[in-house]
This record gives sequence, structure tokens and C-alpha cells, in this order.
Amino acid sequence: MRSLQEKRELLYVIRTLDVLISSGVGLEAALHTIGKGGYGVISTDFQNMMERLTSGKTRGLSDELKSLQKKAESKGYQRLLNTLYTNVTQNTDLVDTLKKQGARMEEERTEEVEKYIETLGGVPESLLSIGMIGPIILSIVGLVPQIMSGDLGAFMSLPEASTMNLVVNVGLVGTLLAMFFIGLKAHTKDPGL
Amino acid sequence: MIIRILESFNDSPMMLYILIVAIACIGGGIPPMLERRRRREIENQLPGFLEALSDSVGAGRGLQEAMMEQAESSPGLLTTILKETLREAHSSSFEAMLASFAAKTRSTQVQRVMVLIDTALEQDAPLQPILSDLSRDYERLNDLMNLREVELQGRGILIILFVSIGLPVLIAFIVGLFAPASKGYQITEFNSTFALFFAVASVIGVGVTGRMLGRLKDMLWWLPLWMVLSMALYLGAVKAVGG
Repeated sequence: MRSLQEKRELLYVIRTLDVLISSGVGLEAALHTIGKGGYGVISTDFQNMMERLTSGKTRGLSDELKSLQKKAESKGYQRLLNTLYTNVTQNTDLVDTLKKQGARMEEERTEEVEKYIETLGGVPESLLSIGMIGPIILSIVGLVPQIMSGDLGAFMSLPEASTMNLVVNVGLVGTLLAMFFIGLKAHTKDPGL
Repeated sequence: MIIRILESFNDSPMMLYILIVAIACIGGGIPPMLERRRRREIENQLPGFLEALSDSVGAGRGLQEAMMEQAESSPGLLTTILKETLREAHSSSFEAMLASFAAKTRSTQVQRVMVLIDTALEQDAPLQPILSDLSRDYERLNDLMNLREVELQGRGILIILFVSIGLPVLIAFIVGLFAPASKGYQITEFNSTFALFFAVASVIGVGVTGRMLGRLKDMLWWLPLWMVLSMALYLGAVKAVGG
């Protein structure tokens, strides 16, 4: 979930940092601006980091960025934090790197959406196969004690009606679970637009 | 007639309870649909608007002047809201006008853009490349959102139609033909089990479709309606076929 929230906000954070830093704002002030809000989980992270920095409870911005990298779940966010860390420790060209990262993030997002659409291509078929074949078979199984009652049932040595009902109920719950897990793909693979 | 139809489902109280919830939820389901349509209309106009602003700023206009020109000359909901905001914002600052415009659109995209423009203005950053970059960014984003919508909507509708309508009717025909209640078959418990199954299957079908299209919260309002529809179709068809 956190990874999805990070992905959703990251490109906007990169663009804002790009605008701020290219117009001459220092890195700490830029991080403070992001931390003021509007960028979800990344704003919260930066706000906590700036609070710790201003209270003097930390050894410096580089250490904070390093520890935030461990908390980050998406690769893009980890990359951004690494870029900021490298800028703090080695004075790299941050604006240029942010522009490249922004472009790369956009490419990745496009690829992820296309992949998502492709991945979900098979979901309706799988969902409908399981969701339709299961109940059709189970409804016939459930009706067997009614249809084959009396001598025919005794001849075929059919199980008790309660056993058949149990089989149907378990089967229906199983079908629902299978449908749920097939549909879960729509959530887990979400590119976070 | 409506009362008679409802009375025929007296042995399925669960369905009748869900029906009441479904009717109440329709009132909650329509506003998000209208709001979403309005928001997407605004968001699809945003890249063009930003590009026009970028061109005007590049030609030497101030941002406020460029916005006023766009409000007057461009058609669409976004510029209508801008025109309205500009008319109301005679005595307030330009920053306050930007904030008010962003709030009125109720769109996260427009709000983000306005925050960024405000920041750029505060820092004296060059506006033309920023507006041009933003225009390209949001054009790509909206293209992706529209692509997702177009590609997945058909699949989503297919899931809902089959799970909530096709399947209950099909099973009802099987049950009604093989074990008609008119011939003394005891299928009340069987029917209530299957009706419940179709209700839960509809929840899954609608939930998956909502998640695929990225609007699960909006779809939740319609969930009881699809549940009750699948239950009613099953129980009604069993009665119609099997007596």
C-alpha cells in the first residue's frame, strides 16, 4: 500500500523539487516546502525528517536521507532519496539528475500502465470461467438428492442429502475465494495513476 | 403490481433488506459519477490550457494577463471556472485567486499545477519552460488515464453483466427445469444458498471492475443494487420457470 502511495506522488515531488531548485531554492528549503503537505506519504516523511533536523535529534541531512531510504518501498522513491543523498555528500548537479529521473519515471509509468492493461486482459476470462463453471456444476450436485430420490438414489448409493449440501456450500465458498483471488490482481498490479 | 412482486419475495427477507439499502445508495452513487465526469472534463482541458499559457508567457505577457486572455478566448469548463474566479477576485491577490480557482475545480491535477505555479512565482522561476513541461506531463498522464478507461471499461462491464445477470439467470433455468417447485421439489434452502452466492459474487465482480477502472469507492454505492439485482433475477427466474 505504501509503495503504491509513494509511486502515485513521486513524479509530482520530482517536478516540484526541479522547479524549486532550478529557481535557486536550497535543498533543505525545498524539502521543507514538500513537507508542508500536498504530496501524501512523501510529505509526511519529509515533514518528520525536517522536524528531527530542526530539533537537533539527528546527525544531519545525509544521515536522515540514508535512513529514509530504508523506509522507502518503491524503487523510484529510493532512487530519488539516493540522488538527494549524493547531492548532499558529493555536491552533484541535482537539477540535471532530477530532470532525467522525471523523464525516466514517466517512461516507467507508461510501461506499467500498458503492462497493467495487458495483465488484466485475462482476468475477465478467468473470473468468468471459474465463476460460471463452478456454480453450474454445484447446482446440479445440489439438485441430485432431489432428482434421484427413492429407489434410484438407493441403487446409485448416493450420499446423504446433508453431505451433498455441505459439498455444495464448500464448493460455492471455494468458487467465491477463487474469484476473489483472481480479481485481486486488479489491486496488486495497480500502477497508481 | 409492485407490491405483488415484492410479496412474491417474502421468503427472502435478506433480498428485501438489501433492496432498501440499494434504493438509498442510489442517491449516494449518482453525485460521484457526475463529479467524476466534470473533473475529467476539466483535467482533459488542462494540458491545452497550460500550453496556451506557456505560449502567451513566452510572447512576453504576464501570467495574470495570459490567464485573463485564455479565460476570454478558450471554450470549456476549465476556462469558464477561471472566468468566474477572475470576475469574483477583483480585490484579492493573484495568489489568492489561484488558490480559489484550484479549489473551485475540485481537481487534484489543477490543484497541484496551481501550487507549482504559485511556488514558481514566489521563487521568480522562469514560467514558460515550467508551464510547457507541466503541459506535457499532464497530457501524458491524462492520455494514460483515458487509455486505462477505454481499454478496461469493456472488460469491467463484461464481468458485471455475466456475474450479476447472466449467471443467476442461467442457474435459475437449470434449477427451474430440473427441479420445478410446482412438482413438489423442496428447493427453498437451495435457492436461498444460491441467491446469497450470487449476491457475494456480484460484490466481487463489481469490486474487481471498480478496482480495474481505478474508482472502487464510487462503485461501492452501486454494490447493493447489483447484489439485489442478481438475487432478484435468480429467485424471479426460478419462480418463472419452475412455478
